[in-house]
Amino acid sequence: MTNSSEEKAGVYKETLLRGLWRENPVFRLLLGMCPTLAVTVAVKPALTMGLSVIFVLICSNIVVSIIHKLLKPHLRILMFTVTIATFVTIADLFLKAFVPRMSEMLGPYVPLIIVNCIIICRAEACASKNKLSVSIIDAVGMGVGFTLTLCVLAGGREILSTGAIFEIPILNTQSQGGWFVPWAAMSMPVGAFITLGLLLGLVNSITKRQAKG
Amino acid sequence: MFKVKHFFQQSWLLIVVSFCFGLLIAVANAAWEDRIRQNEEDKFNNLASGMLTEAASFKTAVEKAELQTDKGKKVKVDIKKAMAANGECVGWAFVCEGSGFADKIKLVLAVGAGFKKIEGFGVLSSNETPGFGDQIKNSYYQNQFVGVPAERLKLSKTGNPDIIDSEIIAISGATVSSEAVVKIINQYVEQVKKQLQNRGLIADDKQ
Repeated sequence: MTNSSEEKAGVYKETLLRGLWRENPVFRLLLGMCPTLAVTVAVKPALTMGLSVIFVLICSNIVVSIIHKLLKPHLRILMFTVTIATFVTIADLFLKAFVPRMSEMLGPYVPLIIVNCIIICRAEACASKNKLSVSIIDAVGMGVGFTLTLCVLAGGREILSTGAIFEIPILNTQSQGGWFVPWAAMSMPVGAFITLGLLLGLVNSITKRQAKG
Repeated sequence: MFKVKHFFQQSWLLIVVSFCFGLLIAVANAAWEDRIRQNEEDKFNNLASGMLTEAASFKTAVEKAELQTDKGKKVKVDIKKAMAANGECVGWAFVCEGSGFADKIKLVLAVGAGFKKIEGFGVLSSNETPGFGDQIKNSYYQNQFVGVPAERLKLSKTGNPDIIDSEIIAISGATVSSEAVVKIINQYVEQVKKQLQNRGLIADDKQ
């Protein structure tokens, strides 16, 4: 009995941590590149996008996990898409109603969560094969992993492009009589590619060192 | 008969789930619809009252006026009358839209009471390139429109932006976005003016 519950806890822990590092959707699987590059100009929109993805991931994994035994193999992708589209629409309406500024900043990228590969990937790889508890934990792990990645990327870009984090000034910019010259390029697509490239390089190098060790 | 039976055997789950999800979206939409509309209205009023400073309230003067965008698409626009605290008309405000560099640009345009001068524009939504096209939101570009005659505007690549006339100086590096704003304003001012004149809400030019 103890062994079984310990085993279960081990599986849950492993599932949760998988999304944070070993199978991190952005750094390891290179999924969800569109929002990763597009909404990481500042931390606030990145965090909003991350939270929206967590909501959609959890809800779609719950639904897929509940109905997975009834799914017809040739109709499963259609079912996943309908499920994801529903929760994305709800998330989009929620943002428009309660955080209109973020909804505006994210623009078309909220509806585009429908085609975010992370969500359909988790529905296919995990929720359609596992029970409810594992599916929820997997969604939380992957969602949090995605959100943290977006926030790290956005944090780097925001501080270099404006000298602020969460719109709170950190570096004293030249326009305020300080020394820091904001890098306008970091707020542009080129900044997203450079930052992502550097972070991917860093993660790869850490992974190689871990493998050698 | 067999085909119908086979269809339901295969797709009953999809039909049931689609119905449930449709219901879920309808409930969410019904619950938040008023709030979403209120947010949009608040944003419009904030932008418009920033340009028409004497306005105390905005009243819909023409509901769903049929106008044409730069691409020939027909849109329905509410033309709002800005009212001062004493009930006097101090201007007109309406939403106008057109194609930008990256995506559709939606503006709020404010025009003076007699429809002679533009009082300015505010950006309701746009996805123009950060650092370049999104400079249409900056005051140094927007200020060029404050007080210009409500007639056909012209875009110029060089000139003095401090001179207020029908010549608008483009933003360096964002000519397409600058041009899009001028085009949208030209497209709408003329049509809205005609709509208001036809309804007798402003004086005809010939009078």
